[in-house]
Amino acid sequence: MKKSPLLYTAFIIVFTFLLGPFLVILIASFSGDASMAFPPKGFSVQWFQKVLDVRMFRDAFWTSLQLAVASTLTALVLGTPVAYALVRFKFRGQNVVEILFSLPAIVPELVLGFGLLQYFALRMNMPIFPGLYFGHTAILFPYAVRVVSTSLRNFDPAIEEAAISLGASRLKSFLLVVMPNLRAAFLAAFILAFITSFNNVSVSLFLTGPGVATLPIQMLAYMEMYFDPTIAALSSIIIVITFAIVQTAERAFGISQHI
Amino acid sequence: MRQLFQTRTILLLITPALSFLALFFLLPLVFVLADSVRDPGGLTLQRYGDFLAQDQTRNVYLRTLQLGVIVTGLAALMGYPAAYLIARMPANRRALAMSLVILPLLTNPVARTYAWLVILGRNGFFNQAMVGLGLIAEPIRIIYTENAIVIGLLQLFLPLMVLTLVSAMENIPTDVEEAARSLGAGGLQTFLRVILPLSADGLVLGGTLVFTGSITAYVTPAILGGTRVLMLATLLQQRAIVLLDWSGATIIAVVMIMTTLLINGLLRQLRPRSV
Repeated sequence: MKKSPLLYTAFIIVFTFLLGPFLVILIASFSGDASMAFPPKGFSVQWFQKVLDVRMFRDAFWTSLQLAVASTLTALVLGTPVAYALVRFKFRGQNVVEILFSLPAIVPELVLGFGLLQYFALRMNMPIFPGLYFGHTAILFPYAVRVVSTSLRNFDPAIEEAAISLGASRLKSFLLVVMPNLRAAFLAAFILAFITSFNNVSVSLFLTGPGVATLPIQMLAYMEMYFDPTIAALSSIIIVITFAIVQTAERAFGISQHI
Repeated sequence: MRQLFQTRTILLLITPALSFLALFFLLPLVFVLADSVRDPGGLTLQRYGDFLAQDQTRNVYLRTLQLGVIVTGLAALMGYPAAYLIARMPANRRALAMSLVILPLLTNPVARTYAWLVILGRNGFFNQAMVGLGLIAEPIRIIYTENAIVIGLLQLFLPLMVLTLVSAMENIPTDVEEAARSLGAGGLQTFLRVILPLSADGLVLGGTLVFTGSITAYVTPAILGGTRVLMLATLLQQRAIVLLDWSGATIIAVVMIMTTLLINGLLRQLRPRSV
């Protein structure tokens, strides 16, 4: 079918709008001087060097990494059995359970962070890292449950029943038969949840405190103090890594279907 | 016996996650809700009245809803042509297009928004280009205006609209379009009378995601609106962290939850059940 040039023009505008800013920041981060300008004056890699030298970025990076791995694994380990129960069984209250586990994706994250700060961090003196860990895990449940249950639904229960009728327990058949077949789903869920945690600002905003900050929170704090290309250089590094992960994940298992 | 065994299995499967969610998600939210109506003498809705009566809070609330509507409308307008072309692409090109579309969603929000600061700033790329081309006499202020927030939010949430529209339009067979065409419908008419009704479900779902995302986003209004143009999220942060006004912040928090839940519930009703 013939497609009008108007349609293609709109298409190009959309992609320029979505991706253009990334190009701008990539170019601006090679600026030769300390002013943040585009097009940049001169050329240098000094801002990339500075990113590596700034201690608070290094510390925040490790905090974010540990937090993302811990909360993603927790959400997957606890969320997978829920997905299994929802797909393989029919039970009373199933709807309620389903809605409950999608709720963290609907309720504003900022409000969750605010609640955790008031009632756990301030009144019960919960340390900073556990507070972040609980908040992040809660918002990752919907990803874990949804991605795993979607692929479980597409996995023929007859294969599992065959394993059970041959003498495997339900747990054993899940671990040895179902799990290996859901590898792609677990990987997709892991990547999505990890990125979500690693980028999160809204939950972390109220929960970070002296000495413990996540990378995006530390970037916000740095921006309030300085307006030099350091943040542009750090942003460029993050953008390039994200781009590589998303490209690979889309080719390998169509990660965009799971968002 | 078998029934009993099954119930035990189900409980075993869901209890750990459910306890976690109850303790670290539901409980803090219930506390926030309870605090918003608690009064030394009993229960009160007074603070909600104040929220709507005071100029600042009311205006911020109305602005938040208004910007949400604008972003949602623009996302639908820009999302349709892009999603239509992507849905009709061969598989390998579609994978490439999709991986590019979702990039803003999966990029660190500070990095993404910082780019707009460089583009929209007073001496930013946009102003330089416009002055250079002679289209404007001197730089205009975009940063710290509602326009800047709309631009930032649109880049963030347009991908969600495109994603839902692509999956809605994938299910429309090309035959239907060709039938409309061969019966004499033009491009616009085919869109309005065939594509739009058949993808309405995706539009409503995408619209819900874009709207609720826009009215609760924090980083975009914080960087591009600053304290000059507040939205609910930045007002909440200001009340809690800067002014230490916990009861004021609590009301804003509940208004945010209620608004998103209401919109989600309403639009869920709107969605056709057929799909």
